[in-house]
Amino acid sequence: MQSIYNSKLKETLYKEKLQNGLTVMIIPKKGIQKKYIIWGTHYGSNDNKFIVPGEKEITEVPKGVAHFLEHKMFEQENGVNSLDKLTSIGVSANAYTTNDHTAYLYECTDNFYEALDEFMDYVQHPYFTDENVEKEKGIIGQEIRMYDDYPEWRVYLNTLEAMYHTNPVKLDVTGTIETISHIDKDILYKCYNTFYNPSNMCLVVSGDFEPEKILDEIKKRLIDKEQNGEIKRIFEPEEESIVKEKIEQEFKVSKPLFTIGIKCKPANQDEKVRTHIAIQIILNVLFGESSDLYKELYQEGNMFSAPSISYEFDESYAHILISESANNPDDVYKKLKEKIKQTKENGINKEDFERIKKMLYGDYIKEFDDVTDIARIFLADFMKGINSFDYIDEITEIDLEYANQILEKYFVEDKMVLSVVY
Amino acid sequence: MDYKKQEIKQGITVHNINTDKFKTNIVAIFLTTPMSRKYVTFNSVISSVLRRGSKNMPTQEDISKTLEDMYGASFNNGLDKIGDNHILKFYMESINDEYLPQENDNLLKESIKKLSEIVFNPVLENGKFKEEYLNQEKEVITQRINARIDNKAFYAKTRCVECMYKEDPAALYRYGYTEDMKDINTENLYDYYKELIDNCKIDIFISGKNELENTLKMLNEDENIQKLKPRKAEYVINDIKVKEEQQEQSIEEKQNVTQGKVVIGCDILFDENDLKDENLRYEALLYNGLLGGSANSKLFQNVREKASLAYTAGSSYVRFKSNIFINAGIEIENYEKAIKIIREQLESMKNGEFTEEEIENEKKSIISGINLIDDEQDSGIVYYYGQEITNSNVSLEDYKKRVKNVTKDQILNIAKKVKINTIYFLRN
Repeated sequence: MQSIYNSKLKETLYKEKLQNGLTVMIIPKKGIQKKYIIWGTHYGSNDNKFIVPGEKEITEVPKGVAHFLEHKMFEQENGVNSLDKLTSIGVSANAYTTNDHTAYLYECTDNFYEALDEFMDYVQHPYFTDENVEKEKGIIGQEIRMYDDYPEWRVYLNTLEAMYHTNPVKLDVTGTIETISHIDKDILYKCYNTFYNPSNMCLVVSGDFEPEKILDEIKKRLIDKEQNGEIKRIFEPEEESIVKEKIEQEFKVSKPLFTIGIKCKPANQDEKVRTHIAIQIILNVLFGESSDLYKELYQEGNMFSAPSISYEFDESYAHILISESANNPDDVYKKLKEKIKQTKENGINKEDFERIKKMLYGDYIKEFDDVTDIARIFLADFMKGINSFDYIDEITEIDLEYANQILEKYFVEDKMVLSVVY
Repeated sequence: MDYKKQEIKQGITVHNINTDKFKTNIVAIFLTTPMSRKYVTFNSVISSVLRRGSKNMPTQEDISKTLEDMYGASFNNGLDKIGDNHILKFYMESINDEYLPQENDNLLKESIKKLSEIVFNPVLENGKFKEEYLNQEKEVITQRINARIDNKAFYAKTRCVECMYKEDPAALYRYGYTEDMKDINTENLYDYYKELIDNCKIDIFISGKNELENTLKMLNEDENIQKLKPRKAEYVINDIKVKEEQQEQSIEEKQNVTQGKVVIGCDILFDENDLKDENLRYEALLYNGLLGGSANSKLFQNVREKASLAYTAGSSYVRFKSNIFINAGIEIENYEKAIKIIREQLESMKNGEFTEEEIENEKKSIISGINLIDDEQDSGIVYYYGQEITNSNVSLEDYKKRVKNVTKDQILNIAKKVKINTIYFLRN
């Protein structure tokens, strides 16, 4: 087993790729009672078109299958619902689906190994029937409706809609009531067999564990499965341009919500982390709590919280998102554009740059406190081919010149969109 | 983890949670005062004005830059309503010195200093709050109050509480009321602020790798804390009280929702005899767990899994007011069906239709939650504050023991006393 120690975080990652292709990562935390395990497959809502290993034809499935599968995995052939079973032994279990992965998890203080039996059993044994698939449509239908009532969710999805022509990232993870109506058990089995192969999965554990021992316990519970070959995922080539600059939806909220999106080209693998850090620094300098822009908008009474800022990316897409509520989102948008232009001309202020670097250093340290956060970060980064320790190491290296280059390259005016829900 | 508390002056209590499990230290200051219609909006505006600037960091920008420079120390303020108390909460979280790239910083001490300054030494103008800040923060709070309609599930929950409690302080909305704004000015707000600081209950929490002695030393050296006077702290001790039965009411409101939100507020009608039992809240906690606290509960199983009516269906127990709140998000046309199934679950609890095994499972899941309090820095603070405000002193070990000792008969006793007070339905 490979071990990687990070001296800044004072944490060690143990990592092993098993014979069947499954990657296991262990981050021990001495003295912590909570134990957390998460098992993810590199299969998310974006993977709707693919070639099954060994086949020639392209398979295309309705939107929302990955999420539907996540819901249905808990049901077992013997009538047991694994979620209920895990809950009944005092562990807290859950699952979620994102654009690029689906994950099953639980946390507990006691009964970890008893829970591990059930956990590893259900993820490896799907059981779908016509009846249980139909029943789930009602529940997921209500989940979709619940999201329809979240203005924050609508403003986000509309931003993606305005940026992307074809990339499936713009679609709702759950699918729609219409698309899920086409899902049946055969589709679920096909997707399960394609994507829930150990070679397409990663399991992360964090808590008070002996790495060798927990690895053995995991191996013991794996069923025999051959590695399948590469899954070819098919994405329509995405144009570089945006679809439209402005998108609006009426919602009757008390104050308009906005998201400003900037469409970017995904960075090369070896530059992903650096780019991500540089973008975080730039966004904080431009529009963070201490920025002139935020101060100005606050004083004008336009917005009263600094925006939340993020950079989302995968192999096939990358974008920056800036979200908050504002009385006049158009003016925020206009002023941000001016600010970007001005900063490009004058360069990023050295003092601001150093101060924000310090802040982010502290933020990265904080992320490695809770076993839940640690395991989730390692899993999500793994799906993107990133070692999570790289962030804390790279941030001390990054310089002003690099940040200025990223500003020039990523913050492009005609790649910007404004989404408003009012 | 080692928890110790000490009153440093009358009405001012320091809680030291010494733990080496985290990379961060948290300093929290809670100001507790009785909830009242007259001052609810004052408290809300004060909480907001204080974060605008202190004597030595007179602008928000100064505060932000200072915090960024302290390796991204984070400041947060919030308002809470617990039982009949209004709590102004201020937090500062910073990383432990062990994880700083350079040595010789003392971020914890620095955090105490900055936080106490923000709370106790605001920037003033002619001996009053700054006009500019007050006007902006009144607008901020007005918008926040108006924003309640944006989160439909939250809106439905708070509306249900208002309908249940009517004139009672517990019905008050913790951010206050827009119509009060016109009567708040820099002078009366500052006068009220001084009164609040002199009379409220003050709790200071320090959680991190740090001994009580060191905490006391740091607080002792802090000039803003030095200046605080002893006080006969005014607040409401949240005891479980006897409850009278109310006539059941149904309320329906319309908004542009796509999913209907049902919230059912229930009272647990405790009588004099019940109050002799000091484990009531643990019994009610188990009752709630069986009814709607988890994926195995009656509500989740019957409303969601069997009838496929909802994605969210569950319940929560509010011990300070002896309430159970049931909530579900449903198709609007399924309202009658959902209410019928929910009533059946309440009945089934009354009829004792739950097994010893289910009780044991529920105990395991509650105990697992208690075990986690040690591992989550905020949870520790919330737990010990809960003890403080109820005037109790139950250790985590004792808490687990009390949960383990609850019997089926006791849960059944709770079930028989649960009575629907208000059915609230938000629809289109």
